[in-house]
Amino acid sequence: MNEAQAPVDGALYAARQKIYPRDIKGRFQRLRVYAVFALLGLYYVLPWIRWGERQAVLFDLPARKFHIFGLTLWPQDFYFLTWLLIIAALALFFFTALAGRLFCGYACPQTVWTETFVWIERWVEGSRTQQMKLAKAPLSGEKILRKGTKYFLWFAFALWTGFTFVGYFTPINELAGKVVTFSTGPWETFWVLFYGGATYVNAGFMREQVCKYMCPYARFQSAMFDQDTLIITYDEKRGEPRGARKKGSDPRAAGLGDCVDCTVCVQVCPTGIDIRKGLQYECIACAACIDACDEVMEKVGYPKGLIRYDTQSGLEGRAKHVLRPRTIIYGSLIALLIAGFAYSITHRNVVAVDVIRDRNALFRELPGGLIENVYSVKILNKDAASHEFSITADGLPGLQVDYGTDAVEVGPGDVQSVAVRLRVPRGELKGGSDILFTIRTQDERALEATGKARFLAPTN
Amino acid sequence: MRKAADEYTGRLRWPRLGQDVAIVAWPSFLVASVATMVCFGFIDPVLVGNDDYPPPAFQTRMAGYAVGFFFFWLIAALSSLMTLYLVRTAHPEPADEGTDDGTRSPE
Repeated sequence: MNEAQAPVDGALYAARQKIYPRDIKGRFQRLRVYAVFALLGLYYVLPWIRWGERQAVLFDLPARKFHIFGLTLWPQDFYFLTWLLIIAALALFFFTALAGRLFCGYACPQTVWTETFVWIERWVEGSRTQQMKLAKAPLSGEKILRKGTKYFLWFAFALWTGFTFVGYFTPINELAGKVVTFSTGPWETFWVLFYGGATYVNAGFMREQVCKYMCPYARFQSAMFDQDTLIITYDEKRGEPRGARKKGSDPRAAGLGDCVDCTVCVQVCPTGIDIRKGLQYECIACAACIDACDEVMEKVGYPKGLIRYDTQSGLEGRAKHVLRPRTIIYGSLIALLIAGFAYSITHRNVVAVDVIRDRNALFRELPGGLIENVYSVKILNKDAASHEFSITADGLPGLQVDYGTDAVEVGPGDVQSVAVRLRVPRGELKGGSDILFTIRTQDERALEATGKARFLAPTN
Repeated sequence: MRKAADEYTGRLRWPRLGQDVAIVAWPSFLVASVATMVCFGFIDPVLVGNDDYPPPAFQTRMAGYAVGFFFFWLIAALSSLMTLYLVRTAHPEPADEGTDDGTRSPE
């Protein structure tokens, strides 16, 4: 038994062999490059875009406010985020049912960053063969230089990624200034290194292992597949029996299919599988094997598409159905949720009120037979404009409201805390009663919000 | 003879320890991220604790979020670890051992 035929159990403990995916050009690889540029471009550029006085997209955790262009979300708007996550999950189901693992191949951060790291590797170390040769070569000046350059570039790129990540949570202009003067705060430094380190390890070293061993989606996506899902597949009927052949010879006469068994589809695979063995959960649908096989087919003069995007139905020569219960249900659910989301985010109440009773005294008896309770009324103005608010309270006869002025001005995206005194003639109540505070804007834009509180009085 | 294609696909597995670390660390990381978001969506970390505890260096929101995140990660990782241990140490299902008539399955 030679080493290559080690039993499966032994392989469990054997060191992993690094995969050196071969570079390949083609229409799907071009699409993937566009996807990488679009997504990473968005990621690295977005925090630098300004919106008026502030950063356009800033998840201001210290202030507990999320700014997304003109929109400011507060902790109270948390459910919007949940809503977005549900839409994203459904969209994933929808596209998986339609076209398989589109997300994995084109949009998953793991794929996108790995792709970038592979580019850097290729740029420094050369082609697949050169990389393998370099790995096997004894230590030399050139090896140290090439490997060192690669690791340095990876490291720099990962750090920049971590820096950008933190730039979504703390103003990136200030952060850049602090980085230049080495004066970042402890948590900023920590998260830059944490996210940068995770990028470095995930995209530089773990790569396809993340998809194989760590990704839950890779395991459950098959539940969303059906006979009409587009998958990357090898046309076994056309390709088998595979085998090498002389140029120009008739494969049918030699009893051969169209697969020339050049193994290029295996060499380009970033997860190191053989697509000809059928659909495997390791396949991230990057379509590199399609492009590779098309190129070979063109060279040997066979029709393209021996490996292609197709459905199970298509492979078996049946009619294809894009519209089917599964896609219709997912599709309409998404449409419904997006419509609801858009409606509620444009119609959300942009003012809110939070009433807290003064904790020091239950109540105070004033001369003149009045009972007084003190509250701290917090007015939240999530609107983009400043507003003046009046405060009223209901729930008890003869209730007097006193907050010093007639109107409280609250700036855009600001919170204003107001001390409010409520007075009720003694005898109107015993013990306590619920009351309702209402804040109203004084200007042409009518906005209001209410908050409940309890009014306490002596029991006798 | 071994096919040329298998040269590339044969020994690409992670060692068992690597798999175990990944299986414990990664799902708990995902769960911890969600738990952190939900938890601090409702709770403002600076309102937790008092003047003496936690120590002053940790009495900022950023510290609260970070400590919360790693706390959730640790708890979730313990759960993952226990699950993994139970799965790894379980006796295989009888069905895996052979077919109904007592013969071993071809695999």
